[in-house]
Amino acid sequence: MPIRDIIIQLFLGKDPGPLQPQDWASIIRVLRYQQCLARLGWRLRDKGLLATLPDYVLNHLKNAELIAQKQYHQVQYEAKLLNRLLKPLTTNLLFLKGAAYSLTEHANVGLGRTYSDIDLLVDRPSLLRIEQELCLYGFFAEDLDEYDQKYYREWSHEIPPLRHGNRGTLLDVHHNLLPLMTGRAPDIQLFFRHTQQTSAGYFVFSPAAMLLHSAIHLLLSEEIKHGFRDLTDLYLILEQYQSPDFWQELLLLATQSGFASELFLALRYNQKILAFDVPPQVWQQLEPYQPGKFQQRCLDFIFMRKLQPAHPISATSADAIADFLLLLRGHYLKMPLWLLLKHLSRKFSRQMLSAVFGSNIFDKKTDQSSQK
Amino acid sequence: MTFNVRYLNLPPFCFEIRTDISKVAANLQHIYGDTLSCTAQIPDYYLTLSAGSGLRKYIRPQARFLADQQEPFKPIEVDNGFALLEWGMNWCIATTEMRFVIVHAAVLAKDGKAVLFPAPPGSGKSTLTAWLAFNGWRLLSDEMALLIPGTNTVIPFVRPICLKNQSIDLARSWFPEARFSSVAKNTHKGDVVHLSPPADSWLQNTVSAEVVAIVFPKYNKAQQLEITALSQAQAFMALAENAFNFSLAGAEGFHTIVKLVEQCQNYEVTYSQVAELAEFLQQDVLPYAHP
Repeated sequence: MPIRDIIIQLFLGKDPGPLQPQDWASIIRVLRYQQCLARLGWRLRDKGLLATLPDYVLNHLKNAELIAQKQYHQVQYEAKLLNRLLKPLTTNLLFLKGAAYSLTEHANVGLGRTYSDIDLLVDRPSLLRIEQELCLYGFFAEDLDEYDQKYYREWSHEIPPLRHGNRGTLLDVHHNLLPLMTGRAPDIQLFFRHTQQTSAGYFVFSPAAMLLHSAIHLLLSEEIKHGFRDLTDLYLILEQYQSPDFWQELLLLATQSGFASELFLALRYNQKILAFDVPPQVWQQLEPYQPGKFQQRCLDFIFMRKLQPAHPISATSADAIADFLLLLRGHYLKMPLWLLLKHLSRKFSRQMLSAVFGSNIFDKKTDQSSQK
Repeated sequence: MTFNVRYLNLPPFCFEIRTDISKVAANLQHIYGDTLSCTAQIPDYYLTLSAGSGLRKYIRPQARFLADQQEPFKPIEVDNGFALLEWGMNWCIATTEMRFVIVHAAVLAKDGKAVLFPAPPGSGKSTLTAWLAFNGWRLLSDEMALLIPGTNTVIPFVRPICLKNQSIDLARSWFPEARFSSVAKNTHKGDVVHLSPPADSWLQNTVSAEVVAIVFPKYNKAQQLEITALSQAQAFMALAENAFNFSLAGAEGFHTIVKLVEQCQNYEVTYSQVAELAEFLQQDVLPYAHP
């Protein structure tokens, strides 16, 4: 059985049959790359399957789980601070994605989930005050060149990422789910109506809105690195929260906000890759949003590759084509043509220079004191 | 040049190392000798030291370090590639191996009793380590002490000793027969050489030891041996500062360090002669320690 299928079996709590040490080495390598090691550790423990595993596997799972646990606690601290600082400045203050998964009590999607930044969603008019306030408390924007600054300020849906000077915490402050100039940015008030408050007092999306946001994010990406992690995010939300009310809320929000086709695809790949059972009524309601046959085949070509537990060492030329198509599609869906051409020509020229002069020519010169 | 793939079995970890830089391959062979193997093993980490791509391969060539697909450091001059690999290995362990409490310290043992030498760079720790390792002590670790949480037990992680600047010539004069790597010049730590520890340390690289003393060394060439006993609180603070993953190890890490300072003799020692420090340890510390 190919490694990717073994990983899927393990994630689903099924027996993949006897595994050799070499298989485990590959499984650990792929999962570490996919940032899913701690998640698998939690899944296996939950299903009582840890006891039989070799020490090699237990050691790596334990390392990853300890890091995930630490982050799980750390985010509570950051959230408390952010809530206190920013609540007076904005009507809506929502935690999104990874941080939201951790902050939502008893959410399986938050267990063993790691992330590199904390995503916030706030009211657009409050952005300036928020940025100033965060600055006072040690969160500063990284050095950006003029092009990137302009990109963020004019075309994006967030301000440049802020990093805390001491703790290194990275903060992404958004005012919408998608860049405004894409024409796909939803009326964000719609999403603000689908929130829940945790018992610690933080606001996050309701499970249905959480799922839809996660689907939008994944299906409109121009680059997918941790596709399996992202797919299992969706799976874990669906598995835990599905109910007639959940489906109703999800379908309503998806159609109102114009993301029904993204939802369709998210469900399709959960069914195809992870054998998730989508109720027939849901398929029925999403039928009008199903892509045409040819388009569907193209999308399957891309996503059936990118959402597997894959690793670049086993990438084929078909995977490279899928990457390229994904890049084109992601940009095409999110940028007006004139901007796309401008943006791609800049990125392409930088790639050419990197190919000729080595991939580090755009690194800013800094001292190397961080090397140990 | 094509990639040369080797497996470096350094208990408790195994590294797969791919490199297309001949100087790195030569240093690996020289420093690690028989520990290096061509037969496939089950690696914990997948490291690549590559000369980069494109024109950069030929004009002012660089060495790039990759841990699987991650590149945590900026490239370095190609001649310094081996030092970058050593630091990269440290980085992998310090950022991943949370099942240990990891202290930035050298560990050496005599008669099964281990002494922890935590110290910031410039304290002469590595020179001291080299001297002890070649004078009847067994090296468990030069840079990072791996403690099993909740115990005083150190798991050896035997690696070459990282010597800097003036200590390079000193070590060469002390141990002319030993195996030294080529010099990495003008790195962020100055000139750096790696020294392979003696055979005995390599042979016992799976034999753990109990820590009985914590000694914070401070080299000062103008000073006689000066020994200060540290209170447990002082030792705790100083040790916690040197713990790589102290914040990550959380409560378990805290309790481990507390227990360690409670059960150990704790000293700060200023010295100019390594032999005098060794004598102090052998006559006044080890005999009174009961692991």
